[in-house]
Amino acid sequence: MRDFKDKIKRAGKTVLFFAILFALLTGMSSMLTEISKKNDNLIQSRNKSLIKIQKEPPNSIDVLILGDSLSYTSISPMQLWNRYGITSFIGGQSGQKIYETYHILKTTLENQSPKLVVIETDVLLRGRTGLGRLKDKLEEKGSYYFPIFRYHNVWKPLLMGEEYAEESYKGFMLRDTIQPYKKGEYMKKTGEKIQLSPFVTDYMEQIISLCRENDIKILLISTPSPVNYNYKKYNALKEYAQENSLDYLDMNLKVKKLDIDWKSDSLDKGDHVNLLGAQKITRYFGKYITSRYDLTDHRGDAGFEMWEREAKDYKKKTKKKVEAMQNSLRIG
Amino acid sequence: MAYHTIVYLFLFLPLVLTAYQIAPRKLRRAVLVGAGYGFFWLISRKLVVFLIGTTLFTHYIGLCLTWLKQKCRMETDSCAPEGKSGIRKKYKKKEKLVLACGIILLLTVLAYLKYYNFFAHNANQLLEAVSVPLAFPAKRLVLPIGISFYTLQAIGYMADVYWEKVQTENHPGKLALFLGFFPQIMEGPISMYSQTAEALWRCDSLKGENLSRGCVRIIWGLFKKMIVADRLYLLVKAVFDHYEQYSGIVIAAAAISYTVQLYMEFSGSMDIIIGSGRMFGVVLPENFRQPFVSRNAAEFWRRWHITLGVWFKTYIFYPMSASALVKKWNRFGKKHFGKYITKLGISAICLYPVWLCNGLWHGPRWSYLFYGMYYFVILLFGIAAEPVKNGLLQRCGIKESAWYWKRLQILKTWVIIFVGELFFRAEGLSIGLKMFKSMFQNVSLHCLWDGTFLNFGLDKGDYLVIICGCLTAAVVGGIKERNLLGDGGLAKLKTPVRWSIYYALIFAVIIFGAYGVGYQQVDLIYAGF
Amino acid sequence: MDELMNILNGIDDSIDWENEKALIDQRLLDSFGVITLVSELEDQFSVEIDAAQMIPDNFNSAEAIYEMIQRLREK
Repeated sequence: MRDFKDKIKRAGKTVLFFAILFALLTGMSSMLTEISKKNDNLIQSRNKSLIKIQKEPPNSIDVLILGDSLSYTSISPMQLWNRYGITSFIGGQSGQKIYETYHILKTTLENQSPKLVVIETDVLLRGRTGLGRLKDKLEEKGSYYFPIFRYHNVWKPLLMGEEYAEESYKGFMLRDTIQPYKKGEYMKKTGEKIQLSPFVTDYMEQIISLCRENDIKILLISTPSPVNYNYKKYNALKEYAQENSLDYLDMNLKVKKLDIDWKSDSLDKGDHVNLLGAQKITRYFGKYITSRYDLTDHRGDAGFEMWEREAKDYKKKTKKKVEAMQNSLRIG
Repeated sequence: MAYHTIVYLFLFLPLVLTAYQIAPRKLRRAVLVGAGYGFFWLISRKLVVFLIGTTLFTHYIGLCLTWLKQKCRMETDSCAPEGKSGIRKKYKKKEKLVLACGIILLLTVLAYLKYYNFFAHNANQLLEAVSVPLAFPAKRLVLPIGISFYTLQAIGYMADVYWEKVQTENHPGKLALFLGFFPQIMEGPISMYSQTAEALWRCDSLKGENLSRGCVRIIWGLFKKMIVADRLYLLVKAVFDHYEQYSGIVIAAAAISYTVQLYMEFSGSMDIIIGSGRMFGVVLPENFRQPFVSRNAAEFWRRWHITLGVWFKTYIFYPMSASALVKKWNRFGKKHFGKYITKLGISAICLYPVWLCNGLWHGPRWSYLFYGMYYFVILLFGIAAEPVKNGLLQRCGIKESAWYWKRLQILKTWVIIFVGELFFRAEGLSIGLKMFKSMFQNVSLHCLWDGTFLNFGLDKGDYLVIICGCLTAAVVGGIKERNLLGDGGLAKLKTPVRWSIYYALIFAVIIFGAYGVGYQQVDLIYAGF
Repeated sequence: MDELMNILNGIDDSIDWENEKALIDQRLLDSFGVITLVSELEDQFSVEIDAAQMIPDNFNSAEAIYEMIQRLREK
């Protein structure tokens, strides 16, 4: 009997230990998330978009754009606002992986109700295998449930007073470097296709069902990038979209239509586009989504004054940058 | 899947623990062997056959030795007293032959896989120099993980059977467990059969106390590795990769940083490994015992990578010192040269092979050989200078136990260690020598505050954390050295105090660990040997 | 036993050989002490001490050393 009591006592102690640990983890997690939300300059590059989107007023974003660096260099939410009054946000990260896409979407849906989710397809092409995948998956799961793992580094700016400022407009980055792409046509027609990793398609299924539950439309887009796309990938993506009845917009086949000039519009020899390229892509993209989806024009609406102000600032900045870029093209 | 990764800590280890616990006692051994081979397979794939082959081979060599011993006993029992020693001699010879076969085969496999290319490269250079038109082709050889560790354990087992220190088992499972216990596979500790085989074979049920102590040990290991070692890695890599850009204090700081990094990382992974073993109720031998309070190089090696030192001592040093050569020299030397020279001669004869092997064991590089010889010379010098030192101390009236003398000795030992590790880390001997030389050029303390040290990927916050981490480790080391907590460790403390320590450790790792954006995961250094 | 004590005192007379029980573990007798000791023992008692005997347990006390010699003599 005594033995039994001892055992119960010990088990109780173990449970208590882990209960306190759990409480501390959740408590500190929400504390760190709050601190990070208050000042997103405390957060370093990759984690910024996740914090920034949580700072947006509830239910104010209609279009959520997800993806890797191609997403935040190609599409400018402010340009969309100026032209159509659409509210969009880019939840992109450099080298975003599909489970990160999923978790950003899930976090966003906690206080936003977008009508359209746009996924830049480069994340669908990024598969990892074996233990590395397992590791990433565990890490992402852990960081989702206990954000302390994601934001733990804020001790440094808090303690040492350093900040990591970064200029972005609803996730879009103004990039004004010009490094031309010179290798010519990269979408050479072929019947071959690559294989999408089952890891990616599994997560996509989760993303799709999450969107269906919330009555959100999904659009896959491939933004122009000679380094990252070719016809084999296009075939695979097109087939995947058809099989899952998802809308798919490939802009690599429409480079001419978009009026992309690789001499002036490339940021880094065909990997990303610069501001000039982004303007052309966004122009086409805006036309495309407004003609297909029922999106509201929020210009003049109450509660969107912040957008007006940011848009003005954006216009001024881009005008200066575009002029400088065109000047350098004329000279160079 | 190294031991500090989440896949190991949060998936592999818990899964094996669960499988082990729910399996019936008879199957537990199979679970552990399976986990070991599975672990090996995850890293080295098909090369797991090397481990299995080594296990079976070693097992049968052991059985063969035992069989010879039994036969010898039977024959001596049934023969006249005069014939006994003859029979014994005959069998001893046979046993020696079997043992030699076993050791040579294992060493050949190790040598071929690990050193063939080194040999071929150097031989080719030599042949070219004397213009012999012959060349050894370079081969792509893949090293099975942990081969340097399990080979030593296997050789130790064979020698122990030969010396009748351990009994063989008809079933190869016990040896398979001993050689393939998954926490030990990647970087030791190199245990002796008598230390771990019994506990592994017993397969006791998991115990709460073992689990919690194992956990704490693992977290402490993560503390050292993630907070200190993974930060210093950046500085060390920056300087050693571009050594030609630096000189003076920066090189010295890099050497010190590397020593600290290596210690935190190697002893940290040992904590994780020993903690993992502890969870299964297996007490693995310690590999570190506060090495930085050593008063001389010899003591340092009794506190640093202990199991390797013990292995060399048991299986090389002692056999050498009991060899006919040493005995002969002892007699001869005493007659002709006196005690001092004789002792020095014995030391040289016995230490040389130990340090040659130590250097070689670390890998096929001239700088590792140099590292071994460096310590050989220092240790020999220490022995040679001892009478002089004692005389000086006496004349100056300094007591061996005086605190300032102790401090001075520790400081001297630090310098020896740091210089040794500089050569150990440098990419090759010639670079090591260059770095050593440049350490004495442009020495100016200016670089300590002009921001040079902020260019290595570490900012002020990182340095602050490194210093705090080292201080914490020093305090813990001090407590261990003075044995303030006794055998029970933290268990002696009251629950609230103990739990506060646990929580503090856990959150220190989570918050100050060098992981996530801005850092990269760093591979284990000793897994490469 | 007396013979043994003579040898031991010849190696180092500052050690309390009779009562020390951890000569090796406390490092009173270092590796070279052991080697010298071994060769003296071999000469004096005409036994052969090989590597198998080189374990701390055999050298930790005068008694242990004595027992080892007895054991080897019987062989």
